[in-house]
Amino acid sequence: MESSQQPYQGQPVAARARATTYNCMRCGKFNELKPREPIRCFDCGYRILVKERTKRMVQFEAR
Amino acid sequence: MEIDSQTATGHFQHQRLNGGSINNAEVLLGTGSGSINEKNLTDPIPTVEDKWQLLPAFLRVKGLVKQHIDSFNYFIEVGMKKIVKANELVTSDIDPRFYLKYTGIRVGRPERTDPDAADRLIAPHECRLRDMTYAASIMVDIEYTRGKSRVIRKGVVIGRMPIMLRSSHCVLTGSSEEDMARMQECPLDPGGYFIVRGTEKVILVQEQMSKNRIIVQVDGKGFTSAGVTSSTDERKSMSYVFMKKGKLYLKHSMISEEIPLVVVLRAMGMTSDKEIAQLIAGVDPFFLDLLSPTLEEGAASKLFTQRAALDYIGPKTKSMGRRPGVARRPAYEDALDVLGNVVVAHVPVNGSDFRAKCVFLAMMARRVLQAVSNNNKTDDLDYLGNKRLELAGQLIALLFEDLFKRFNSDLKINVDKVLRKPNLAREFDVHSQLMCHGDLITQGLSRAISTGNWSLKRFKMDRAGVTHILSRLSYIAALGMMTRISSQFEKTRKVSGPRALQPSQWGMLCPADTPEGELCGLVKNLALMTHITTDDEEEPIKRVAYALGVEDVALITGAEMHAPNTHIVFLNGLILGITRSAQRFVRQFRTLRRNGRIPAFVSVFIDDHRKTVNISADGGRICRPVIIVEKGVIRVTTEHIQQLLAGKLQFDDFLRLGLVEYLDVNEENDCMIAIYENEIKPYTTHLEIEPFTLLGAVAGLIPYPHHNQSPRNTYQSAMGKQAIGAIAYNQLNRIDTLLYLMVYPQQPMVKTKTIELINYDKLPAGQNGSVFVMSYSGYDIEDALVINKSSLDRGFGRCQVMRKFSTLVRKYPNGTHDRLTAPPLLPDGTVPERFKFIDDDGLAPPGTRLENGQAYMYKQTPVDTSGNPDSTTIEAPRETQYRMTPMSFKYPDPGYVDKVMVTTSDTDQTLVKFLLRQTRRPELGDKFSSRHGQKGVCGIIVQQEDMPFTDRGIHPDIIMNPHGFPSRMTVGKLMEFVASKAGAVKGELQYGTCFGGSKMEDMCRILVENGFSYTGKDYVTSGTTGEPVGAYIFTGATYYQRLKHMVADKMHARARGPRAVLTRQPTEGRSRDGGLRLGEMEKDCLIGYGASMLLLERLMISSDVFEVHICETCGYIGYKGWCQMCRSSKSMVPIKIPYACKLLFQELQAMNIMPRLVMEDI
Repeated sequence: MESSQQPYQGQPVAARARATTYNCMRCGKFNELKPREPIRCFDCGYRILVKERTKRMVQFEAR
Repeated sequence: MEIDSQTATGHFQHQRLNGGSINNAEVLLGTGSGSINEKNLTDPIPTVEDKWQLLPAFLRVKGLVKQHIDSFNYFIEVGMKKIVKANELVTSDIDPRFYLKYTGIRVGRPERTDPDAADRLIAPHECRLRDMTYAASIMVDIEYTRGKSRVIRKGVVIGRMPIMLRSSHCVLTGSSEEDMARMQECPLDPGGYFIVRGTEKVILVQEQMSKNRIIVQVDGKGFTSAGVTSSTDERKSMSYVFMKKGKLYLKHSMISEEIPLVVVLRAMGMTSDKEIAQLIAGVDPFFLDLLSPTLEEGAASKLFTQRAALDYIGPKTKSMGRRPGVARRPAYEDALDVLGNVVVAHVPVNGSDFRAKCVFLAMMARRVLQAVSNNNKTDDLDYLGNKRLELAGQLIALLFEDLFKRFNSDLKINVDKVLRKPNLAREFDVHSQLMCHGDLITQGLSRAISTGNWSLKRFKMDRAGVTHILSRLSYIAALGMMTRISSQFEKTRKVSGPRALQPSQWGMLCPADTPEGELCGLVKNLALMTHITTDDEEEPIKRVAYALGVEDVALITGAEMHAPNTHIVFLNGLILGITRSAQRFVRQFRTLRRNGRIPAFVSVFIDDHRKTVNISADGGRICRPVIIVEKGVIRVTTEHIQQLLAGKLQFDDFLRLGLVEYLDVNEENDCMIAIYENEIKPYTTHLEIEPFTLLGAVAGLIPYPHHNQSPRNTYQSAMGKQAIGAIAYNQLNRIDTLLYLMVYPQQPMVKTKTIELINYDKLPAGQNGSVFVMSYSGYDIEDALVINKSSLDRGFGRCQVMRKFSTLVRKYPNGTHDRLTAPPLLPDGTVPERFKFIDDDGLAPPGTRLENGQAYMYKQTPVDTSGNPDSTTIEAPRETQYRMTPMSFKYPDPGYVDKVMVTTSDTDQTLVKFLLRQTRRPELGDKFSSRHGQKGVCGIIVQQEDMPFTDRGIHPDIIMNPHGFPSRMTVGKLMEFVASKAGAVKGELQYGTCFGGSKMEDMCRILVENGFSYTGKDYVTSGTTGEPVGAYIFTGATYYQRLKHMVADKMHARARGPRAVLTRQPTEGRSRDGGLRLGEMEKDCLIGYGASMLLLERLMISSDVFEVHICETCGYIGYKGWCQMCRSSKSMVPIKIPYACKLLFQELQAMNIMPRLVMEDI
């Protein structure tokens, strides 16, 4: 996408930085985003992304 | 005429309406059976089936927030064009050939500002999430000169206008529910607000006195005075005609002293005493007598010519910003200018023809005389017909006009600057100048709306708090905010007039919905069916009036004007002329309006007392629709309603067909409105659509409100807005600062028609609980409730609290910026406990359980963010030093990350919003309320096993103490109880609509049919002893609301904790873990008791005790064992004083006051 050439305000951090998964808030598509990439759905171009749910186990107390 | 004015009016009215054939007293008392047509009495009363169906039809076209939307639409479509038309030309002082002319203005649809967006239209919800403004471009068509040629450009963008949701330019208007869902918007959301920088802002309706109308008052000095607030496009001014010692004077802020009225009239060219006398008093000897001192004073002044009068007034005028350098003009010209343009400015003066103005002033004088002669009977300032409501459209129009003028003057200055240069390289194109001013209008509009400060120099207007954040506590809170009216009166005044309920508010403003306390009665709410008018064109109405036989004022003498049987016709406060058959004129006028020849919101009424016919077409009048009745026949028939239900007719068709019309407050006073069909008498002119519409949207939730003591309905109106429930269909997509949601909301068992109309049944806030009215344990005193623990386990009253935490990944002017990153590892290679949930992107993922102190975001901020980007930082950015700025969870109870949103804001910075969620089950001290102003806290939670139960095994969810009833007199609650129980037993919903609803008799019958007692009482077994309870217990169901006040948000205690830096005293407030204050009154108690050591401990030892060393010689604070002042270590003593006291001494020393401490043994 042409907008990916836009300068991103973030700088390269440590090499540890890996892509994280986000969901587009409009189409729900998974987006793998690296820290300096512009925030934009690859599929529909929507600019609001939501972080994917945790992979850890979540235990609730049913009360 | 010596008849008392009240009866006089009544007399005229009945005569008019009956054709004078029936005895007035009989009609008034409704006893005139003899003379009224006998047939009517025996005939069955014709009723219109389901005429209340007009109400949903009305709400479909007008709706509760339609006044906001209509007003904004009027501004966008008409008002803006008028403003541009009035300021269309920009010229240059340098180049006389240059001009720029605005030939048109348009507002587009809300669009994104991103340059590379594929889909340009923007939905409101995206603006909320991305902290943007929901705005559309303002485009103008211009025509200007470039060099010697004329250029025309269309669609030049000059700024962005915030768009009201659901207005004609909003993307939501006309969308289906599916489209709404796609845009993540709630179809039930009322709209009518703006989204500015991500927050929802409402411009509240403002109440004001009406402009351009004569209002007679007794002023501060005790003089009877007729005042007018003239308001034109250019200026606003107040003019008064008042009577002082029997003589009439004119007072105005532009004239330094009061001028005898006769002198003023002579200065306006009316030099003949006879003409003046006739114009003011007509031929009535009584008024002529009253006027004679005024005329004598005029004669005594010896100012007989216009010029002489002008010369007299001239020196007394205040200068109107005279420009330096321009020659001073003669005094009489000043006077002419002030009289022509400033005094009663809204009356137009054609050239030097002051006659219209003279007639108007004479009319004011006559009103003073009338008031004086009638025992100083002045106008009622609190009468709703004398008020106007100012809406969003008008306020934004003022703002836009100001900004547009400023935009043009800035443009002119810049144009002059460029043109002043001797030879331009290129021909000057103003278009480029126009583009670089784009921010002025955009910024001005969004700043005013987001701060609420309206400061316009031209109108001397400086109002703060015009806008408010839309309360999203519950659906009702948001809706209630849209119908709110705030008054401009100062709240300090002790008079009760403005706060009292005015009879003219009937059906227009809600009688129940007003806050308690200092704003009581000043903040009001609209009733269900009210509409607020917008301006209508005057010119066509004028033509109609003249066509219907109004004689122009310019052509008649005063004697004719005040002749008997003659009425003076006013249009928007301006004298139009006279009519000799007012009844016929008004009848024909109304007929034309019913036929749609005149706009529906133009009102006309006869003021018999003053003998005037008043036509109003101005904006801001409150009006409501009623059914037309002619000669005792209701125009709306059952067939009409059937067609309405079949969708063949709309509400507007009813208007068009002349079945229904809008009445404003003044015209309402001129009509005979029957509430029910059986009350229709031959003189009845209208019929109410439904009486329950006199309540507003919020008070409409109360079942059987007509059986409650009135303050209880007011209390419920305040509490309904605090109830936790469903907020909107898109509530889970919203990220609000604070959002309370109920887990299992239910619609009430006892509904009202209003509930269905405002969709409260779709977005409810509360649950139906099984309630026993009895005493149980001692934990139910003072309205405390006993709650069943098993009910809580099943989800009764359970709610969720969502909080937003957001952070901006900033860019700084020196080229550095924040960064989100994985937290640093400990030396042993493990992640610190506090940061263990944070991913590589520095954000905790949704689903994470957060304990107190746990971080959910890890961000690094550069240490040095100031200065300019120099070459070193650009070349070697890695050298920037960072410090960590994480965000941690700071509540004692654990919460969960519900949502993590990342986006780019308007300014191209990364914006991260966290939504943190807590689920709360009711606990001891949480607040609940029924819908009858009966609030209470949870006093004890009891195991279901210990709860009483009926012979059918029914347990209560809530036990309520019966002491709540006798003094509160909320009979409506008892009725809701029975109706709910009957509904539950039969399996249907019941209605508790105001002035109607399910009848108690029917409810009791249902109970009996199902084997219950008609009293609603049941046999109950005690859960603790197993014995029968010694009385039959009133059991039933009630809709209970959970209010937002929860113990978890308020619980606070501290033993030791943080202290303020300056004073070293404990901090204040729960949020800072503050101490509990031993206040003034507590201090007095301790003094009174003589507990001095306790006092010392509380106020000093446990607070800010501090040891200082005092030199006994000089009395100053020194070091330990050394006095710097005396340069000695001889007489230093340590004492303990509060640190704040030491601070005070030092502050005094800093301002050259020397406090000395003198030591003494005790």
